[in-house]
Amino acid sequence: MKIKSLKLREAHKGSANASFCSILWDLNAHHLVTASSSEPSISIHDPLLPSNPPRVLRHHRDGVTALALSPNSTCLSSGSIDHSVKLYKFPGGEFETNITRFTLPIRALAFNKSGSMLAAAGDDEGIKLINTIDGSIARVLKGHRGPVTGLAFDPNGEYLASIDSIGTVIYWELQSGRTLYTLKGVAPDTGSDTSILNVLSWSPDGETLAVPGLKNDIVMYDRDTAEKLFTLRGDHTQPICFMSWSPNGKYMATSSLDKQILIWDVNRKQDIDRQKFDNRICCMAWKPIGNALAVIDVMGKYGVWESVVPSSMKSPTEDIPSSRSKNSNGLLFFDEEDEEDQELSMSGSLSDLGEDSHGESEPPSRKRLRKQSVIDDDQHEDVYNELNLCTKTEYRKKVHRINKESSDKERDGSRSMMTFRPKMQEAFQPGSTPPQPGKRNFLCYNMLGSITTIKHDEYSHIEIDFHDTSTGPRVPPMTDYYGFTMASLNENGSVFANPCKGEKNMSTLMYRPFSSWANNSEWYMRFEGEEVKAVALGGTWVAAVTSLNFLRIYTDGGLQKHILSLNGPVVTAAGFKDELAIVTHISDCLPSNEQMLEFRIFNISKGTQPFKGHLPLTPGSYLTWFGFTEEGQLSSYDSKGVLRVFTSQYGGNWLPLFSASKERKSGENYWVVGLNASKLFCIVCKNPDSFPQVLPKPVLTLLNLSFPLASSDLGEEALENEFMLNNLHLSQIQKRIEVMADEGLDTTPLDDEAFDIEAAQDRCIFRLIASCCNGDKLVRATELVKLLSVEKSVRGAIQLATALKLPILAERFNNILEERLQSKTEVLKTSLPRSKHDRNVKADVAASMALTATERNGDQTACLEDSREVNDAGKNAGPSQVKNLQTQRPSNPFLKLPNNQEEKKVEEVMSESQSQGPSNPFFKSSNKVGEATGIQQSHRPSNPFLKSTAK
Amino acid sequence: MAGQSDPHISLFSAEEVEFMAEDELIEIVPNMRMDPLNFICGDFGPFLPQIATQVPMWLAVALKKRGKCAIRPPLWMSVENLTKVLEGERDSQGAFQVLPFHYVEISRLLFDHARDDIPDMYMVRSLIEDIRDVRVHKVETSLEKFSGTSAVKIPNLSAMEVNIIRPFVGRALQAFYKHDNPEKIPDVDRASSGQTRVANNEPRRPLRR
Repeated sequence: MKIKSLKLREAHKGSANASFCSILWDLNAHHLVTASSSEPSISIHDPLLPSNPPRVLRHHRDGVTALALSPNSTCLSSGSIDHSVKLYKFPGGEFETNITRFTLPIRALAFNKSGSMLAAAGDDEGIKLINTIDGSIARVLKGHRGPVTGLAFDPNGEYLASIDSIGTVIYWELQSGRTLYTLKGVAPDTGSDTSILNVLSWSPDGETLAVPGLKNDIVMYDRDTAEKLFTLRGDHTQPICFMSWSPNGKYMATSSLDKQILIWDVNRKQDIDRQKFDNRICCMAWKPIGNALAVIDVMGKYGVWESVVPSSMKSPTEDIPSSRSKNSNGLLFFDEEDEEDQELSMSGSLSDLGEDSHGESEPPSRKRLRKQSVIDDDQHEDVYNELNLCTKTEYRKKVHRINKESSDKERDGSRSMMTFRPKMQEAFQPGSTPPQPGKRNFLCYNMLGSITTIKHDEYSHIEIDFHDTSTGPRVPPMTDYYGFTMASLNENGSVFANPCKGEKNMSTLMYRPFSSWANNSEWYMRFEGEEVKAVALGGTWVAAVTSLNFLRIYTDGGLQKHILSLNGPVVTAAGFKDELAIVTHISDCLPSNEQMLEFRIFNISKGTQPFKGHLPLTPGSYLTWFGFTEEGQLSSYDSKGVLRVFTSQYGGNWLPLFSASKERKSGENYWVVGLNASKLFCIVCKNPDSFPQVLPKPVLTLLNLSFPLASSDLGEEALENEFMLNNLHLSQIQKRIEVMADEGLDTTPLDDEAFDIEAAQDRCIFRLIASCCNGDKLVRATELVKLLSVEKSVRGAIQLATALKLPILAERFNNILEERLQSKTEVLKTSLPRSKHDRNVKADVAASMALTATERNGDQTACLEDSREVNDAGKNAGPSQVKNLQTQRPSNPFLKLPNNQEEKKVEEVMSESQSQGPSNPFFKSSNKVGEATGIQQSHRPSNPFLKSTAK
Repeated sequence: MAGQSDPHISLFSAEEVEFMAEDELIEIVPNMRMDPLNFICGDFGPFLPQIATQVPMWLAVALKKRGKCAIRPPLWMSVENLTKVLEGERDSQGAFQVLPFHYVEISRLLFDHARDDIPDMYMVRSLIEDIRDVRVHKVETSLEKFSGTSAVKIPNLSAMEVNIIRPFVGRALQAFYKHDNPEKIPDVDRASSGQTRVANNEPRRPLRR
């Protein structure tokens, strides 16, 4: 079984002792509610942004021992050691009422299915049933002899089950308030330790009640008869302290005093996964939509265990059963429920979308699985189950008829509540961290410096620091009465903005230059009925995007220059010199939880919009950073850790240049600060933190950019990555050269840079060729040779192929070299009538090049022929001949002058058709070795002046 | 301890040992921009603000004095690690825990020059002092016990500790050796007097200081 470790995040300051903590999901999984019995506060977390500080409700005067959320997630109730039960609105968290008081601490709370009734119990004698509408106490159920620690309303609304700390379970009939069954001593006696609470739970279909057993197991009791049905026994070595059914009732999570969580497939009665923790997990909750389990331990640390159920199995939220099951006949049980399940999965597809993409193909396979599971089951168990079902049939029929109407209504209600809408991402500033009470947080952190703020009672204190203390301007700290939450920083100044808080505190934009010749050159803008959502700063401009989807552009002096309307609500904005980039929402998110974002780049000084388009994100993620590289390339980073850089290749596209999942060492998060052409600058945060603290001062870490390459059969990902990166840089530089050349600027430094990269690229390709040759990927090797930019490298490749004894490959390389030379001479030819002198020199160089090439060729053929021709001298003559030619030619260009045109043709023909060389008349006239190599070799070295004379 | 109180007995003074320790590399986080420095001992840098880099201790201290960098305390200098080491030292009577050869000097330099860069400075300081005391005490007790051996092997001893005990151990060993076989060992002064070496096959061991 796979052992994963789950990082937990502190939700509540645990006291030194273990204390019982609670955790809950709301209906749409938008919120997680936690509480600890050692702390009076209740926290409402946003599971999408776990790093944001939770909303804290502090109404209790002592530790909160119990939480319950009404089934439609509009009402939260909490019970505390301070003896009170409180109701709040949810998710707002506004306190509503103290609905009841006890004389001793509360230990358990539960809402019934409709939310109309709340059961509360604790160390007091008696369970109180309270009408949530008027707060009246409907009934007090007395019967337990110890503190009641667990309460559960039957999903069908007939019964209440309760358990106490000495292990007694009681079934209550709600109608009459009578005790139906009392099961004494079925659960462990937890004694006086209030951090361990016995709990119990109905399966979502209401057919079984799960209770921790005495043998470190879970015992399932029948709904109507309270008979023991079966047990889940496995690897727990100590008593179970909490359990939770998956929303569809197919799985169960159990946590035990042995500090591990087991996930059970309830049908197969087998554990399918487990997780070990440092501390005992005292509460768990399945995510209502999705395959995840929220857990909290006795020290108040919580976490969400994602993909709990293996993807090969059914999702825990698939086929959520209706509260009323139809099984009237034990034998028909499976088929009937299947039908119903299918109906449900169709109707419930809205809620399931995104959780399982293979929803369509599920029903048949599920059927198979179920049948299999029956077979897998112990024969004995199976028979037992069926017998049981038969005996109960009569009774159930009656019950179901009574309940039919009401539960139908409930089902409709619950279905409409289950529709899940992913949230559109809120606006953010790149490089900002969420505010934390009592601590500084970053409003802006970039490669230049940082802006930090700390909130005091009436005002905030803002500091601006530059990383480079020796050159950056020194900016005095300032006191902020506006409560700025957005800021941006560059070398010239800083811009701040605050959201509006009520009518008195309007949204304000402030610009503060760092150095100005005039006094008092900072300026303010106030917005009425409008709120600044994002700010950006460029060379000579300030931009603010507001809630009315206006893009307002100011000069750095404060002149209101442009107001543009944007297409949708803004996500973020970034500036670099003249360029402003803005990300907006195009539409609501897709149901699969994909943010639909669009970016635009504006050139402020020219008043143009060079690019706009969709901003790609990894599915299911959101944008976390957006900005420019040091060279001015637009880049983005999403919550799944993929960095993308915008290039104009392919008409403007985003290249994934870094993937945290490939890089990530165990438990590290990367908080991006910036990047340059080859490195990513980020702050490494240890899990579960996803953002850095202001103190101690974060240190930047450099990570190499790398394409998310598939692992190829060559096994040279590093080289391939270098190859692609070099290509990218080259194309970027060439583009810049073009731009500069158009503007008539000097491109020499860029040319040099391009040359360096080309050289590096050749080296890289050369190594790739070598590994291709070794890996027997000859086609790939020839492709690579074509990409070499310098002829010298091609020659090297030929040598390499020869050395590796791959003559066919060497031959191919040769052909490539010839083609290249030929095309080059053609190019030269077309550009001939430029200037006479130039032409001569160029032609000359080309000629010598071509010659050496053919010479080499001849050399090889010579080698082949040598054996036949018995001309030993020829072999040695070959290389020296080349040298001769090369040295001789440039030295006497005038000799060749008259012959120039002719010779060019020669080369052309020659490289095209070396085989038919001898038949070509030009070969002889140029003296260029058209004849059999043997002859030529014999006389060449002897008379180096022959050529000129022959001409 | 024998040599501790009297600096003249040790081979090197504490300052000299510290000087040697200054060649150890340490990580700093500069707050300025500077090109790489090319020294005989190697190339260091480039220095970019907020990006950590490795430099020799002496350079780190020099930069720190000018307020140009923050020194990152080495990994072993954390409270957890030092607590563990201290426990280890106390538990095992014979063996010494693994610490950097120059741990005394490095920590001393950091305490002197980079107090603000060490989290829990006082805790770390007292832990290191405790560790040092425990180790020195252990060395002393183990020296009390040694007798008649021709060599002493103490793994994981640090520079400062070795420096303190080396002269004493050297001389003590020499003395033992002399007393054990008085006839074998010629006195250093009399060595030149041409006294014959004993026919014992034991090779002569030059005693190192």
